[in-house]
Amino acid sequence: MSVIMAALDTTPVAPVVLETAIEFGRLTGNDVIALHVRSRASDDIGIVEALAARSGIPLRVVEGRARSALCDVLGAPEVLAAVIGARATVTGRRPVGRTARHVLEQIDKPVLVVPPDVVSPVTFRRLLVPLEGDEESSRQVLEQLGILLTAEVEIIVLHVFTHGTLPAMLDRPVRDLEIWGNEFLSRHYPPAATIELRQGAVARRVAEVSGEHGADLVVLSWSRNTSAGRAAVVQGVLGASAVAVLLFPVKRLSE
Amino acid sequence: MPGCDFRFDETFEALIFDWDGTVVPDRQADATAQRARVESCCKAGLNLFVVSGTNMENIDRQLRARPAGPGRLFLCCNRGSEIFEVSVDGPVLRNRRTASSEENRALDRAAELVVGHLGAVGLETKLISDRLNRRKIDLIPITGWADPKKADIASLTDAVRSRLASVGIGDLAEVVSIANEAARTAGLVNPKITSDVKHVEIGLTDKSDSARFAAAWLADRGITGALVLIGGDEFGSPGGVAGSDSLMMVGELARATVVSVGEEPGGVRDPVVHVGGGPEHFAALLDEQLARRTARRTPRIDADPAWVVPLPTGRTKERVAEALGTLGNGFVATRATREEGGPGASPLLFVNGAYTDDGHLLPGPNWTGLDLHEKDSAQRTIDLRTGTLARFGREGSGLRSLRFISVTHPYAMAMRAEGPAVSFEPGDPLRGPASRDVEFESDDRDGGRVGRTRGPGREIALATRDRIGIADSYRMVERLAGWSTTGAEKDARPDAVQRLEAADAMGFDALLAAHRQGWAERWKDAEVIIEGDPASQLAARFAVFQLLSAAPESQESAVGARGLTGEAYAGHVFWDADVFVLPALTALRPAAALAMLEYRIRRLPAARRAAKSLGWRGARFPWESAGDGSDVTPRSVRGRGGEVIPITTGPHEEHIVADVAWAAAHYAAWTGDQGFLAGAGRDLVIETARFWASRIRTDAEGHGHLDGVEGPDEYHEVVDDNAFTNVMARWNLKEGAMLLLGADPSSREARGWLSLAARLVDGWSASRGLYEQFRGYFELEPLLMSEVASPPTAVDILLGAEQVAGSQLIKQVDVLMLHHLVPDEVPAGSLGPCLAFYEPRTAHGSSLSPAISASLLARSGQPERALELFRMAAHLDLDDLTGTTAGGLHLATMGGVWQALAFGFLGISPDRSKGERAALAVDPCLPDSWTSLGLSFRMYGHRVRVRADHDKVDISCEVPLLVRVGDAAPAACGPPGASFRLVPGSTRRRR
Repeated sequence: MSVIMAALDTTPVAPVVLETAIEFGRLTGNDVIALHVRSRASDDIGIVEALAARSGIPLRVVEGRARSALCDVLGAPEVLAAVIGARATVTGRRPVGRTARHVLEQIDKPVLVVPPDVVSPVTFRRLLVPLEGDEESSRQVLEQLGILLTAEVEIIVLHVFTHGTLPAMLDRPVRDLEIWGNEFLSRHYPPAATIELRQGAVARRVAEVSGEHGADLVVLSWSRNTSAGRAAVVQGVLGASAVAVLLFPVKRLSE
Repeated sequence: MPGCDFRFDETFEALIFDWDGTVVPDRQADATAQRARVESCCKAGLNLFVVSGTNMENIDRQLRARPAGPGRLFLCCNRGSEIFEVSVDGPVLRNRRTASSEENRALDRAAELVVGHLGAVGLETKLISDRLNRRKIDLIPITGWADPKKADIASLTDAVRSRLASVGIGDLAEVVSIANEAARTAGLVNPKITSDVKHVEIGLTDKSDSARFAAAWLADRGITGALVLIGGDEFGSPGGVAGSDSLMMVGELARATVVSVGEEPGGVRDPVVHVGGGPEHFAALLDEQLARRTARRTPRIDADPAWVVPLPTGRTKERVAEALGTLGNGFVATRATREEGGPGASPLLFVNGAYTDDGHLLPGPNWTGLDLHEKDSAQRTIDLRTGTLARFGREGSGLRSLRFISVTHPYAMAMRAEGPAVSFEPGDPLRGPASRDVEFESDDRDGGRVGRTRGPGREIALATRDRIGIADSYRMVERLAGWSTTGAEKDARPDAVQRLEAADAMGFDALLAAHRQGWAERWKDAEVIIEGDPASQLAARFAVFQLLSAAPESQESAVGARGLTGEAYAGHVFWDADVFVLPALTALRPAAALAMLEYRIRRLPAARRAAKSLGWRGARFPWESAGDGSDVTPRSVRGRGGEVIPITTGPHEEHIVADVAWAAAHYAAWTGDQGFLAGAGRDLVIETARFWASRIRTDAEGHGHLDGVEGPDEYHEVVDDNAFTNVMARWNLKEGAMLLLGADPSSREARGWLSLAARLVDGWSASRGLYEQFRGYFELEPLLMSEVASPPTAVDILLGAEQVAGSQLIKQVDVLMLHHLVPDEVPAGSLGPCLAFYEPRTAHGSSLSPAISASLLARSGQPERALELFRMAAHLDLDDLTGTTAGGLHLATMGGVWQALAFGFLGISPDRSKGERAALAVDPCLPDSWTSLGLSFRMYGHRVRVRADHDKVDISCEVPLLVRVGDAAPAACGPPGASFRLVPGSTRRRR
């Protein structure tokens, strides 16, 4: 049986991480298990225990160094996806901490990153799926998301034009963009009914469109290669998004 | 084939074969069985060419076939010198090569020289002189070898070789060489030296002439290369001389299947397939072909790389492939949706002019669906030569199919498919279209399936009939369809059923044969040959193919921006039709161009009403037009955020009014049909001129202005005094005035128009030697494309519409369209400066732009830059450059591609300088990589062929033409034609 594993720490973001994980479990039809890593057996985990108990979610506690322990547990075959939190800092929101980043890079499965300012109650009804327009990554997102989702949701695809995808010609711009967009959907994400086309900085456009449409989850693909260009986009989106971001690891030929 | 492990898994349309040794073992053999086979093959539609060195009587006496068709039987006799066609009434001479007395003397002389030469070394020979156009020298005139059988070829070869060796001659090839030299010594220019081992022959013709006749006859019927099988028994080189049957392998029949049933003691070389087995195996081969036709096996196409366009494969390209593979006959078209459909599939059938009351083309029922049980990603190819779409599944496992929309029987459509019975079933032959909003119903009736789609005020009905066969676990499906459309309150189905019955009475094979022939005839007036650039040649042929498929040749023709190839723009007719498509069709298919003009003529009342409603006079054609001629341009669209985005083209892009008039005048000038402007087309020019006369504002100084217009460059939406609009209006006024004055020399209205035309500002700046695109354009931010992005780029997306509108960047050629359409209206020498100024500012962000720019660059002597833009245009849809090809093909671009070839690189135009009726100007300007460019087209009602290389121009014509090449004085030409040398520096660089 597959489970969603919610990685909880003792920071204030833990409750919303767990709430997000529970909603993600509903979305995907999977049970949720809370996971806490403590460095020593003497560490106080009362907060986490209480949180899990209040939600009726089983808690699994492991000991060890956070990074390796998390990767060990989350890497287990029965774990379908992980949910982790991003932390707020005094200098502004910080997308993911070092530990979370390590998990993102090491775990070859979907990871849901919960920003600190996600508004409770968390519901997933409208998903924003930014797509680059390369066939291989679109196919993987389409397939993985199709397998993952069991509940009805509205999917909005976003494409931000790049030098590679900017249309060469638009005979009648408004109408041609509609044709272009419909064709993009047909090629890359046929189940979606809506596409948004934008020009400019990707992370900023994702945040804008997410806000315009009231999206409650952003789905991003990435190759887990922090040196590649897409990683900067991922970092940017994680830094700017007010809603949870689901990162899909994909194999990308271009990276 | 019984006794033979080789099978030809293809259905051929023609067989060209040797007689003696191939069909019969010898000339005395009983050919009763062969007679029956030959007649049956012809009855099944196969065309047969018997090729022999002997005379007709010898073959006919033995064969005695009297076929009734529809396949034809030819006897190609006397080693290529005579062609007889055999029907139920017996043989009739079709063609004979007659030697002149001089040639006969030369043949005699050559034969005597050979006999003398061989006699001198001690070889006794015998001269046979009573053959048509040839002389035979018997190399072994001895008892025992008087009449050797074909089966004894090996022994004969040994005997002749031994005999030659005894006198010091190495082999038969040496004798042939002696004969060749003798023939040339005797004065024969192109002697044909052949040998059947026993003889060496010197002639004027050989079997290659028979094969060439067959190839030409077949090509006229769309039957080429791979659709032909060549059979014989002597393809090898017995005695060192190429076997006589190898002469049938002429270049015109490249890709033909070649099979030898002979002994071939020396073996054969590729591509000859050595089956052996003699006449028995050849008979089996005929039987197999007969069986395939009887079983309704799927016909093949000739996959000539110069004529076939493989459709892209893969999930993301499926809809692009559907658009690219659209087949149509002008009246109706069907996209190339795979038979099984699949995710994202967009199967659509559109009928020209079948608009709903709300101004959309109504999609008809889908008739090409089959139920496939397994996913099949087979390659599909559109054959431009024959207008067919073929699917190549793997033999034994995949689906094969071929479909076409008849160009000769416009209400008939047909498809055959075959594959393992377990892999597919016919399913419902009629299915609803991709559009969800269309009402669709179907039922069984009259032994078939009848269905219809309905929209407001419009109905399209299809009637289909399937014939299904199963043999050896293989399923064959033949589907015929008839279509019909009606307006409101009428049932289109009865007509569709009637048309299906008519198609069914004719049958699939006959429909296909007629369809292939129909396309062959179309291509005669539409040849495109680009030597040195096969990719551009194929792309240009694809463009011409789609143009020829876009418009019917009768009634009226509404050619939308995407034709009948997709849903984009709902089938609306823009200036794309009048200015981009029509000039090409005027040359390629004048009747289709006339039908396009008829569409405008029938909408003059609506255009008059539109002008009146706005307070103007005359006729104001709408920017977008559909069924009733009212303006169907959307006034606004909702943005994705719900905001209202105004569309300005409808109220402001009024140059369409002059464009329609221009199309009428162009048609008349090109075809020489001046009666058109005096008759049906007159009001297209007069009423549009009348519109401009009322639309132009006159200022205090008496100058005319056109305020609030939009030129072709839609980056600058509403401007005043757009040069293109103003000059086109001026041209329209003058053209209208000329027509009025022709009927009434004292017409005051005409004189008023001429006065107004003279006072209309046009943006020409004499000081700068440039047109200003519109008032205030020169004051805009002087951005160049090189500072922004590489063209083509939609810079309005990149920079935003507002910034682009404030800059000098333009979407497409605007001022330069004047140099393209009305070169006599612009100052001499202005093309170069205007190109130099505007080209660096052009984003080519419109599909209309690259081809016209290519044409102008070629005309201005910049063929290499022209070629870059030409290739961009020619591959615009093939490479899905816009990302919108799935919504339909850009027909205007295709029209532009032909125009770039004709008006740009070849530089052809009706020569107006002399006022001659049949005058043609040619001024080629080719890129270095093009060895030559050749086009055929119709002009002044007749076919003209122009081929230019870098040194000369060859012109062939059906009637006398006055031709001006470059700056040379006009000269008389043909028929059949003439060659003109290009003098360096003499070509015109037009205004």
